[in-house]
Amino acid sequence: MTYRPLLAAMLAAPILAPAFAIGAAAQDAPTDWDSVVEEARGGEVNFFLWGGADNINAYVSDYVGGLLEEEYGITLNAVPLTDTADAVNLVLSEREAGVTEGGAVDLVWINGENFRTMKQGDLVWCGWTDVLPNDDLIDWENPAIANDFGVPVEGCEAPWSTAQFAFGYDSARTEEPPRSIPDLVEWVKANPGRFTYPAPPDFNGSAFVRHVFYHAAGGVDGLIGPFDQATYDAAAEEAWDILNEMEPHLWREGATYPTSITQLQQMFANREVDLIFDYNPSQFGVFVEDGTFPETTRSYGLDDGTIGNTNYLAIPANAANRAAAMVAVNVMLSGETQLEKARPGVWGAPPAIDVSRLPQDLQDGFGALPQHPSVVPAAELAETALPELQGEWVSAIDAGWQENVGR
Amino acid sequence: MRSLRWRGRIIPAAPVRTVPTWVLLTPALVVVLGLFGGGLALGALRSLDADPLPGQMAWSLAAWGRVLGDGGTWASFGLSLWIAGASTLLSVLFGVAVALMLRGAFRGRALASWLVQLNLAVPHLVGAVGILYLLSQSGVLARIAFAAGAIEGPADFPALIWDPWAAGIVLQYVWKEVPFLALVTLAALQGIGRDYEAAARSLGAGPARAFAHVTWPQIRPAVTGGAVIVFAFAFGAYEIPALLGASYPKAMPVLAWERFTDPDLARRPEAMALALLIAALCGALVLAGARGLRLGGVR
Repeated sequence: MTYRPLLAAMLAAPILAPAFAIGAAAQDAPTDWDSVVEEARGGEVNFFLWGGADNINAYVSDYVGGLLEEEYGITLNAVPLTDTADAVNLVLSEREAGVTEGGAVDLVWINGENFRTMKQGDLVWCGWTDVLPNDDLIDWENPAIANDFGVPVEGCEAPWSTAQFAFGYDSARTEEPPRSIPDLVEWVKANPGRFTYPAPPDFNGSAFVRHVFYHAAGGVDGLIGPFDQATYDAAAEEAWDILNEMEPHLWREGATYPTSITQLQQMFANREVDLIFDYNPSQFGVFVEDGTFPETTRSYGLDDGTIGNTNYLAIPANAANRAAAMVAVNVMLSGETQLEKARPGVWGAPPAIDVSRLPQDLQDGFGALPQHPSVVPAAELAETALPELQGEWVSAIDAGWQENVGR
Repeated sequence: MRSLRWRGRIIPAAPVRTVPTWVLLTPALVVVLGLFGGGLALGALRSLDADPLPGQMAWSLAAWGRVLGDGGTWASFGLSLWIAGASTLLSVLFGVAVALMLRGAFRGRALASWLVQLNLAVPHLVGAVGILYLLSQSGVLARIAFAAGAIEGPADFPALIWDPWAAGIVLQYVWKEVPFLALVTLAALQGIGRDYEAAARSLGAGPARAFAHVTWPQIRPAVTGGAVIVFAFAFGAYEIPALLGASYPKAMPVLAWERFTDPDLARRPEAMALALLIAALCGALVLAGARGLRLGGVR
């Protein structure tokens, strides 16, 4: 048969390709900021970020993009994603195909398990953050900044915002929403069909399940640190019991769950359910302002606290436009852009920089930010903040939920 | 070599083909084998690689074991089979019926043909969003039912979206594929003309008998070909079940994508194994369809 050599070559090509990727390593980080800016001028940045919120997209494309264009002639191309893992996969696939430089992703909005994956796979560029002039505004002594879901940051990403989980309800429909996991179970039983949560691995649904898991474990303290199977097994049984006890009283008797937070938001807006939650509580205010949620929407934290995290900006190891990406990060870390981002009508995301290190007028700006009546104040939530767990925990809890509750 | 005369000019006949068939087929084969064969080979390789880090290999059948040993995979397999089977069957029924109606001459036939073909140009995703707004428990129909006092709240409206029977998904595929099958069937019907059928009728066959014994055998190859395409598409497509599907079980392609985007890189080989399963089933189906056509005595 004459086609055999051709076929063999075709089969061999994909096998051989990854071999060329071995040995790809991050180049040394630059030390001189001026030369970075010089290299970045007139270039472009492909910024991959979760694109499920119009206000965030507008802030990034119009405001940050405008500043970069104006000051440095840099074009910011925001690439919207439904899941940050898509960007990680793109970088990984490029790496597998031997693309060690000139990759498509220059900058990615990231945290948690996705960051762990990139660090584990040597897919992220490290050691560049302390070159940024605005690095001085970051409090690296704060463990909640220096660790991303328990993984040391070590100069491989720069913090962008902080976020803390909150619940929401319509005060015209619901007088007294549940403020603890046991209360929620009772509330769900008393209001059949009026509550549900997105199935993990949805980011928000996964975070909700972790609140139940923390409660089942008797608090988060025993879960801090590396994954431990025995501790997991003990807490998991109790957690699945609680969730399965709720299940028959959920929306559609728990036969199915929403598959995204967007779906849950639509259901809350359409009055199919009475409770909502979000890792980004400022969304409640945005939805009230655009008429999606009723004006009587209110939000709150749980008595035992809600989970908070820091989210970051990372540059892949094979990024085509590293210098421009660094300039973009520096701009996004400035006091002015962080203040704009914190405005309730813009995004309402709490800053990741240490505000006390800013000039007085900017500090006053942060102090004078209006509080949207539908959004629980970040300071109030922060009084009882719970840490995130390391990625192995998150993966195990998501998989356990799918195995024991979701089917 | 014979030449033709046309309006006084001599038109030379095409030269006798001397290039072997396999050479002519090579460009198409390179694309098919290179893109699909290469992709399949790469996927098979990755499904056997237990080392999640790029550039390193650790041969293992563990991913296949996890995929095949997981009841969830088989639930997804059953769901995808149901979605594709039900969509194909309903599309064929309605598609052939529409074609039979459209082949006759009647007032407004041009308008009817245009209306039937209208949604061929609508992307699947747009159709899915339309179905969502129309049929969900807080959709347009639910709101009309509520306004008419037929239901007291969203939960009273039948669950047609995100439901265990995948009704919304099947409806979307039927809505989209009926025009496609109608068009394929209509072309076949117009190709055979109505003479045989008229002869059967004049010999005393009723309309149903004439269709079953005369018309259907002639259009069957075209309809089977169209049905195979519809089945393979509905079995392997991601976007509709992702948008309109329940949280469990997930359609095979949705499950494969979820494994592929899992932050835990060790789950990627499972995604590859799932994708290969989808490809294998679609391939088997196309082969069976082609075999069915041959057995039907049609060349």
